[in-house]
Amino acid sequence: MSTTSQYDFEVMTNEQVAQDVWCMRCHTDLAALLSPGQFVNIQVPGNAAHVLRIPLSFSRTDAKARTLELVFAVVGEGTRRLSAMQAGQTSTMVGPCGKGWQLPTRKGRALLVAGGVGLPPIVACARMLTQAGVGFDAIVGAQTSDKHVDYLLDELRALAPCEGCDCARKVLVTTDDGSRGIRGFTTAAMRNMLAEHAYGTVYTCGPQPMMAGVAKLAASAGSDCQASLERMMGCGFGACSCCNVALASGGYALCCTDGPVFDAKEVAW
Amino acid sequence: MVTTAIGPSMAVDLGGIRMRNPINTASGTFGNGIQFEGFYDVGATLGAITCKGVSAVPWDGNPAPRLAELEGSAIMNSVGLQNPGVRGFVDRYGTYLQGLRDKGCQVICQVAGHSVREYVEALELFEELAPFASGFEINVSCPNIAKGGAAMGATPEAAAEVMSALRPLTKRPIVVKMAPHDVAQIGRALEAAGADALSLINTIPGMAIDVRTRKSRLARATAGVSGPAIHAIAVRMVWECAQAVSIPICGIGGVSSGADAAEMILAGATAVSVGTANLYDPTCARRVVDELTQWVREQGADDVNDLVGAFDA
Repeated sequence: MSTTSQYDFEVMTNEQVAQDVWCMRCHTDLAALLSPGQFVNIQVPGNAAHVLRIPLSFSRTDAKARTLELVFAVVGEGTRRLSAMQAGQTSTMVGPCGKGWQLPTRKGRALLVAGGVGLPPIVACARMLTQAGVGFDAIVGAQTSDKHVDYLLDELRALAPCEGCDCARKVLVTTDDGSRGIRGFTTAAMRNMLAEHAYGTVYTCGPQPMMAGVAKLAASAGSDCQASLERMMGCGFGACSCCNVALASGGYALCCTDGPVFDAKEVAW
Repeated sequence: MVTTAIGPSMAVDLGGIRMRNPINTASGTFGNGIQFEGFYDVGATLGAITCKGVSAVPWDGNPAPRLAELEGSAIMNSVGLQNPGVRGFVDRYGTYLQGLRDKGCQVICQVAGHSVREYVEALELFEELAPFASGFEINVSCPNIAKGGAAMGATPEAAAEVMSALRPLTKRPIVVKMAPHDVAQIGRALEAAGADALSLINTIPGMAIDVRTRKSRLARATAGVSGPAIHAIAVRMVWECAQAVSIPICGIGGVSSGADAAEMILAGATAVSVGTANLYDPTCARRVVDELTQWVREQGADDVNDLVGAFDA
């Protein structure tokens, strides 16, 4: 039986945190029910001409304080209106939606690979791994330095190394144009990381071509790989079958209920 | 049943499908009901649900992307009837759907096919495996499959051929889901071929072109338009069809409020389905039941049936 339902939320803060990227913190009872890697489907008020909700993953929840932190890119009319929501404004969100990150079944350090606004759910994943005592390295890419979300990078770096483990945590930053960190794509940095170290599980979220490359590298290195996919969505809870993901075995899964996190081996990239 | 206030009678009869109230759900917009149980008690609330279209054998459906949002309260989809086949459908949802029946909510199973033979095979399987089905909706109007679907319902002759082939296969009510054209003429042909009720309209075929890439915004060139933007068109077609046939009609198209449902009823619909609104407003159908009941009360009617076709032309 589905547990996905509709919840009220109230905006606490909403501020720009990078070029075209906003961070909204809101108050909602839904915060207590979410697992890292799941998503919520948000009703943005103010324009009846756009009826669909906006599906967003989250970087952080606080079950006790009932707060949720969403970091999103402004890419269209809906996310522009979302970025304009003011403290105190209310609306509804549907959730918990989908299946989130799974703890690794394979021993060894994890590797996190984020591209663009794929970073927020990767930070939530990093927190989950840290709590479970799993060490990790990370590669975070963006098109330019201005598009990197600095406070999330700081959070990633600050996550304490796992106890009894000597991992000298690496958080590599890349930009497509070389304006910060390593010039080039995350996959190039990943290839170098894999040459130095064996990883049990790779976790990735970002543009689909990037994740396809990450999945391929992970497979050739013998690592497990979990990828969080993005699709245009009608409902977010399995009612309309609009958000199909092609499977390696043939046929389709639904991003909203079978994902958004998939075992990368199952996806026809 | 305990009632705290005497309200108007909301029960309707859609060609033998006796509904506690006129509100149904449009196929493909409501999963198979179970997806909405976290939002409200479906079985205790709705008059009926119409399940996702199911074919004799599983269909994969169309490639991604299957969805685009349009300016002006509309969306386009080209799902293409992805479904697990009748056996898979019954295995996964049969117990849940029988539970809806037990709570007094009717369950309409939608039958899909590419040819008369495939419709026959699907309905025969449903007859054998789906005792929970209150009736069947024959989808001869899906715009998103390469053959069959809309082509089967495109002319009075083709629609009647499907209906005539299916009629002997079940004693349960058959509703036919119609495409948004020639509804009077095709409706008459379906009535003559033994349909118990009609449901209209299916999505309106449309196109959405990305002018930068010159490609379709969906994987297919054409797809079905739905949502509040098509409501006025749907009301007009229900009205035209209702004047041409004497079997009951389920009105579908852009319904997202009690007033929208009331328009359908005034135009001649006996039942009304909530469709696309279920996706972005998951509690919409429940609210439409309440608002429609309130409207009947405000009209001073004791029975919603007194308002069917009561449009003052």
